[in-house]
This record gives sequence, C-alpha cells and structure tokens, in this order.
Amino acid sequence: MAAYLARRVLRALTTLLGTTLILFILVRVVPADPAVSIAGPKADPDTLAAIRKDLGLDDPLAMQYGRYLWRLAHGDLGRSYLTGRRVAEVIGERLRATSLLGLASLTVGFCLGMLIGIVTAARRGSAADVGVLIATLVGLSIPTFWLGNVLIYFFGYRLRWLPLGGYGTLRHLVLPAATLAIVELFFYARFVHTNVGGTLASDYIRTARAKGVPPLRLYFLHALRNALIPVVTLLGLDVAALMSGVTLTETVFNWPGLGRLAVQAVFSLDIPLLAGTVLFSAALVLVANLVVDLLYGVIDPRVTYG
Amino acid sequence: MAEAALRGLGSRQRSRRLFAAGMILVGGLGIVAAAAPWLTAYDPDAIVVPHYAGPLPPGGAHPLGTDTLGRDVWARLAYGARTSLFVGGLAMTLSLGIGVTVGLVGGYFGGAVDTALMWLVDLVLTMPTLLLLIVLATVLPPSLLTIPLVIGVVGWTTFARTVRGEVLSLRERDYLLAARALGASHARIIVRHLLPGVLPGVVVLAALGMSGAIGIDAGLSYLGLGVPLPTPSWGRMVSEVQTYFAVAPWLVVLPGVAVSLAVIGFNLVGYGLIDLLGERRG
Repeated sequence: MAAYLARRVLRALTTLLGTTLILFILVRVVPADPAVSIAGPKADPDTLAAIRKDLGLDDPLAMQYGRYLWRLAHGDLGRSYLTGRRVAEVIGERLRATSLLGLASLTVGFCLGMLIGIVTAARRGSAADVGVLIATLVGLSIPTFWLGNVLIYFFGYRLRWLPLGGYGTLRHLVLPAATLAIVELFFYARFVHTNVGGTLASDYIRTARAKGVPPLRLYFLHALRNALIPVVTLLGLDVAALMSGVTLTETVFNWPGLGRLAVQAVFSLDIPLLAGTVLFSAALVLVANLVVDLLYGVIDPRVTYG
Repeated sequence: MAEAALRGLGSRQRSRRLFAAGMILVGGLGIVAAAAPWLTAYDPDAIVVPHYAGPLPPGGAHPLGTDTLGRDVWARLAYGARTSLFVGGLAMTLSLGIGVTVGLVGGYFGGAVDTALMWLVDLVLTMPTLLLLIVLATVLPPSLLTIPLVIGVVGWTTFARTVRGEVLSLRERDYLLAARALGASHARIIVRHLLPGVLPGVVVLAALGMSGAIGIDAGLSYLGLGVPLPTPSWGRMVSEVQTYFAVAPWLVVLPGVAVSLAVIGFNLVGYGLIDLLGERRG
C-alpha cells in the first residue's frame, strides 16, 4: 500500500513537472515582451531594461526555468504583470466563487442524477430507459454557453425571477448552477442507470433475490455498492474539472471564478497569472486521480494495491 | 466524459434506429453545407435589408429573419455549416492522425516507448483543455487554419488510448506471430497487419471526434477565438447577438439549435456504430 502510494505520488509529480515545462515553453513562445506588459507600451528603454534585469529575463533559459521551479517549490506562483498582486492570493480569492458554483451544481446534479438513475435502472427497456438516453444525449450535446443564455432569457428576462448575471447573493447562484447542473444531472442519471442496471442483471443479485434478501437491502447494499466504483471515478474527475473553473458558464453569467480569471489573463497576456491558474487546475486533476484510486479500495475490498 | 454516459444505446433495434437518426442529421448537415449557395439567394456577409430597422423576425423573404446588422440569418446558418464541418473535419483528421500513430506505436512496441508516450497522454490530459486551447489560439497568428489545428493538436489523447488498447489485444493474435516469424519489418506489421484491425474503431472515433470538435469550436467562437471574420460561425453568431436576446430571441436560439443538432448527429452515429460493430463481432 505504502509503496503503491509512493509510486503514484511520484508519477503525479513527474506529470506536474512536465506541465511546468510545457507552460515555460508556452510562455517563451508568447511574442509579447513581459517588460512591456508591465510598464506599458510608452515606457522608456531604461525602465524596460531595469524590469528585464529585475525579472531575470536576460539570463539563460535553463537558469530561468530552474528559478521558476525553485520558486514553485516554495509555493511562490509569482506576481501578476498587470496588478502586481501575488498570483496565489488572486487564485485563492477566485476559488471561493468557483467552488461555490461547482459544489452547488454538482450537489444538485449528482443527487438528482443518482436518484433518476437508480429509479429507472430497475425498469430497463421501458419508456424511462429511452427518456433518460435521449435527455442525456441532448444534455451532453447542447453548448453550455447557449443553454446559459436561454435560461437567462426565460428566468431572468421574461419571468424576472432571477438576476441576469453577477455574483453576491444566493439568487445570483441559481442560474449558473442550474446551467451546469442540467448537464451533470443527465450525465449521472444515464451513467448510474446503465451501471446499476447491469449489476442488477448479474448472477449474484439473482442468487440474493432467490435467497429472499429484502428488495431495499438488495438494491442499496448489494447492487449499488458494486455499481458505484465507476461513478466515483467520474465524480473525482468532475470535481477537479469544476474546481478549476468552468470558463464558458462563468463568462456567460459574469461569475468571478477561476475560469474567467484565466481567460482574462490570456487576453491581457498576463503570463504569471495564466501559468498559475493552469498549474493549479493540473494539480487538482492529479490529486483527484490519486484520491479516486485510493477510494476504490474503500468501496471494493477486493481491490489490492500492487 | 460523454463516452461513459452514452455507451450502449440499448437493444439492437434501438441502436439501428438511433444510428439511422444520426445519419439523417449528419447527412442533412452535409447537404446544407454543400448546397448552401443554392439553398439561399443571399450572401451571408451582405446587408440585405434596404432600410435597417432592427432585426426582422422570421418570415417572408427571410425565413429565419435578419440579424442585428441586417444580414440574412438562414444564409449565415447555412454557410456556418460549412465552417463547422471544415473546422470539425480538419481537427478530427489531425487528432486521429496523431492519436492512431501514437496508439499503434506505443501499443506495438510496448516497454519504454509505450511508457513515454502514455506519460505524454497523461500530461496533455492533465492540462485544462479549454485553457490550453485558448492560450494556443491567442499565441498563434489568426488564420482559417489556426483553430482546427489547435483543436486537433490538443484533442488526440483519447484516440491514442483507445487505439493502444485495441493494439494490445491484437498483438497477441496468431497471425501477428506468423507475420513476425516470416520476418516482416515493424513498419510492415504496423501498417499492414495492425492498422486494418483498428480501422473499425477508428471510424467510431472519427464520428465522436467530429462531435467533440464542433462543440469545442462553438465554445471558442463564442469566446471570440473562432475562425477570423467575416467567415460565419455558429458560436460567434450567439455571442454577437446575445445582448439582443430580449428583442430578437430567435437570433440566439437558432445557432444554438444548429450546433446541438450537429453534435447530436455525430454522437448518434458514433455510439450507434459502437453497438452495431460490437454486435457484428460478438
């Protein structure tokens, strides 16, 4: 177990190291001069030279990369070119809005989806089966930015129940969370539906039923537990994806989260801010993968870590 | 993610029906794109109203109305189908090319080559896709080819994984052992013996790749990073007019429906094929 964990952590760290290298290369490819980004296009050459010297931009590339890694190892993500604020601090601020949106939509979407999936699983081949399939297909195919706009039109403009966008109160949260939750809901419904349905058709369930195990116990203790493993994998990746910001939904609703922060950073060529957010979400994905792997053993005791 | 939820459409009959529905949608999209100049009398970029008085609602000379600049919406949608198919097709071809090559090479050689390639797959999968796309689209000079290239270069990882998986099972077959015993070169074994084995799966991946690329292209266009102006694109049609949603809702609704139908069509073809091919094999 310990050896397995060590190997997985090591692998995650090498992947993260690869991410820093890709980011560093991308940053070098960007044609904009960081000194100009900081001082503005009208700065005099002396100022630019001073800034370059300050940032160490004239040093050899390997040295710059080494320094970047050294700072990262100390938790220093650098400072924004535009505002001069610490990147880690800015990410921390935006994380609150992003996690609020992510958790709200995931809670609603996952719980409702599980419920629909479990309820319809016992009735395979019925109209509910087709309904869940079609709804999932549509839910996963419509563009979220468009769905967001349609919801704004109906609930914000026509019915005037909810604000059109922005951040602050619970009412602001409803529409963006609903946009994401609608997609999540059908996704989990179909996935749970297929998995639980498959498990219910297996031999050991038939045996348990023949032995007279009460239906609820059969359902939740015997079937659901086995069907949960793939669900947990997806849930883990989903949490990571939502936590690193949902760019399009945040853009539609003017939600001050990490996704919009990153887009703004790209458009204003604020390299440290951009690199910081990308690195942050990559790290989240790696951690989520690790946690999911370890959770397998908790759900299914047969899983051994070799 | 979509893969996990949509796999296994159900009974044989239902798979066939859904596959047929997908083919109809994709075929319709292809016809609209190919016949755009004959399906509308208007230039998609031209202002077609004599006196601009706000967007015209659907009806009369303009079946889907006119947009906020007085252009014909149906013409823009029809020509937008060309853009979507072009971007999706090129991106998918590129992703498929890289993915199939990486999958074949990694799966066939195994060992250190495989480990290195799969590490690369992990690396690209770990990066936030949309952000990576935005960065590349911003850094590279804008042209008609930029967006499809960027989507293609980022989107190959799942293809590589799937093809590698298939190769791993094909590698142990007897006919491959025979080919090796006869002294066939690595290149010959990969191209003549492994590639045909993975081709049915590749057709599925191509359909799913199209649906993915069209959806991503719409998202990038919405953020203002799509194909350069004035080429009509569905994603940008939404972002251009969203502030007019209150007065002209059809302007926002129609391009979104177009994107959805295209993505649904390719998804149905792809997942339908998975079932139909599996049924033939099994």
